[in-house]
Amino acid sequence: MEDSGSGFRVSGFGSRVSGIGFAISGRVELLLDRRCRDRIPGTPNPKPQTLNPKPQTLFALLFLLVFTVSLLSAGCGGGNGVVTGQFKPINATAAVFWDRQTTETAELLRTIADEFNAKRPAALPIKVEHTGGYKEIFQKVTASIQAGALPSMAVAYQSMTAEYIQAGAVVPFDPFISDPVAGLSPADLEDFFPVVLETNKYPDAGNKMYSFPFCKSTLMLYFNRKVLADAGFDGPPKTWTEFLEQCRQVKAKTGKAAYPVSVDCSAIAGMIFSMGGEVMSGRQTLFDGPAAIKTFEILETLAKEKLAYQIPPGTYDDEMALSQGSAAFTMRSSSGRTSIALLMKDAQDDWGMTAIPQDDPAHPSTVLFGPNVCIFNTTPEQQRVAWEFIKFFTSPETSVRWALGTGYLPIRRSSANNPGIKKFWAEWPYNRAAFDCLPFAKSEPNLAGWQEVRTLVETAETEVLTGVKSAKDAATALKQKADAVLARQ
Amino acid sequence: MIRRLILYVFLLAGALFTTLPFVWMATTAFKSLTEAVSPTLVWWPAQWQWYNFVETFQAAPFGRYFFNSFLVGFVVTTGVVLTSLGAAYAFARLDFPGRALLFGIVLATMMIPFEVTLIPNYVLIRNLGWYNTYAALIVPWCASAFSIFLMRQAFMGLPSDYFDAAKVDGCGHLRFLIRIAAPLVKPAMVTVGLFAFLGSYNSLLWPLIVTSEDTMRVVQVGLTVFSGAEGVRLHLLMCASTIVILPTVALYFAAQRYFLESSLGSGIKG
Repeated sequence: MEDSGSGFRVSGFGSRVSGIGFAISGRVELLLDRRCRDRIPGTPNPKPQTLNPKPQTLFALLFLLVFTVSLLSAGCGGGNGVVTGQFKPINATAAVFWDRQTTETAELLRTIADEFNAKRPAALPIKVEHTGGYKEIFQKVTASIQAGALPSMAVAYQSMTAEYIQAGAVVPFDPFISDPVAGLSPADLEDFFPVVLETNKYPDAGNKMYSFPFCKSTLMLYFNRKVLADAGFDGPPKTWTEFLEQCRQVKAKTGKAAYPVSVDCSAIAGMIFSMGGEVMSGRQTLFDGPAAIKTFEILETLAKEKLAYQIPPGTYDDEMALSQGSAAFTMRSSSGRTSIALLMKDAQDDWGMTAIPQDDPAHPSTVLFGPNVCIFNTTPEQQRVAWEFIKFFTSPETSVRWALGTGYLPIRRSSANNPGIKKFWAEWPYNRAAFDCLPFAKSEPNLAGWQEVRTLVETAETEVLTGVKSAKDAATALKQKADAVLARQ
Repeated sequence: MIRRLILYVFLLAGALFTTLPFVWMATTAFKSLTEAVSPTLVWWPAQWQWYNFVETFQAAPFGRYFFNSFLVGFVVTTGVVLTSLGAAYAFARLDFPGRALLFGIVLATMMIPFEVTLIPNYVLIRNLGWYNTYAALIVPWCASAFSIFLMRQAFMGLPSDYFDAAKVDGCGHLRFLIRIAAPLVKPAMVTVGLFAFLGSYNSLLWPLIVTSEDTMRVVQVGLTVFSGAEGVRLHLLMCASTIVILPTVALYFAAQRYFLESSLGSGIKG
């Protein structure tokens, strides 16, 4: 889908022609020749143009050739082989940073990079390059690993970094952090919320820190105050029981399905955490545990009573429904605040955001979202400059500035004392909600194979929402499949 | 008469059905974000937001992107037409050992998905020192197996008497190709050119992978700036899309006659 042009050019026609070819065993040419001849009246029958007296043999050979080339090419492009040694920098005159930010946030990132460069004019400058979405960044990094040349750093989710670790393409942050001169002081480290650092430690790689927090957010419950008021509620639910009750009342009194569901593994993990559960214990998943089953049962109830419906994957229909007053709730990352604020710019008092409902509000929990940044195994100078920039970017002042400009969360505790943040929180009562969730947020596991597990979780969620499986059956099947995936790693 | 009327009603309905998404795209370009994302279908903006176009052009250097797309598209089209003419003529009219096998190999390349060759191609481009250059955007796409196939079919439709007569008059292969054969297969040539241009103009992943600077990027990359992880600015995306598809629509209308002629002749669908 992403590569509409090139993909269409090759795959589209390729598959069409191969389909014809295999269907009629190589006679396609003869048929097409005849059609072309028929177009010219009075054309004498030219010399027959056959591919081969034995078309089946030729196509067998062709199939073998294509198969071999495909295997070779796929082998070249896997990116899973262990590559040792240092990679060349993709740009020797700058420390390149591959990022995905667009529009205003991209501009802010570039401004921050320019300010960093201006402070040290003689040193290697940071150069931010927009490299598409996460998928494109992953593809480009994977290709660059094979080409032996990498940027200084790139944004990456933990699952992406886990792949880069296997290829020997990234370096751990631990030596940078502990460096007596350029590292972080114990007070600095203490200032970070523990979860944002913990999420960057990789158990499969000696529990070293192969990435560093960059854009962080938490799972939040967004609600339309007007719809809730119509249903007789003056505030959002605090527990899952209250959530179900509010959904029922919204349906009964307004006729609206209260909750459009964006199927997402992170949201399921967040719900499980909020039930007091975990998703992993050692290398075993806990998808058949009480917290996970309770999570799926809530979704099952919502679907059965038509209180919720699944939105098409990859769309933001839930945000739109919320902003149009046709839904009461949605659960999304706190970074979605800016998008919803834009949709509801004429009705800022009609919506709000809060922590997701909890099983026990006295012991809350939610899930941590957002990409990190990793440093590639290029020259020591490139690595050093990358680290210096990351240190600058995550400093208390810049972290706050980034948070205010983007909707992501400041990742340091001291941000709470920043005048800019205080002013921001005072502007709208819900602006502080996500920051208050950080102390109890948990991250998803950093294990190789988790990306595949994420897909299985989303499949299970869809099965429950569509009634294909009961909550218990979906949870049990998910546990078996996910454990099998992780056992293969 | 009534039959014809019914036919026209059906055709008109089909045409309208096909056109509606484009109409929605064009009108959404003038809507506010709230109208654009409205769950109920809004066909006409309450207030025409002309400023959307200003915002769109401010979001990315579309002027440069258009220049690059046209430049790359034009050179790729020229390259594909030239290589297809030469290769297809050879496969259709020249007798040489291994011709069928070689043609089979050319056809076989169409069966390898783009995704499979992406990484090897990228490595090659890096090793050639073409990263972030026009060469990376142009050279890999200057030959196309499908175009060779299409042109070969067109050449094979020409009566061999033409060549024999030209040969008697002292005409060699090159002159026959340029002066006689190429003009006779003009519809196929236009189709090949159209496909080449559209393929080049619409490509996203390859330009994104092999370039790093805004000065080298193309319009499709520009469209990605309106979609982020947090949401889509649908009104601006539709505004940019409306501008971006205009050249391709114009090109299609200009070449429509040849395109249909060639498609009908070669049995291509869709």
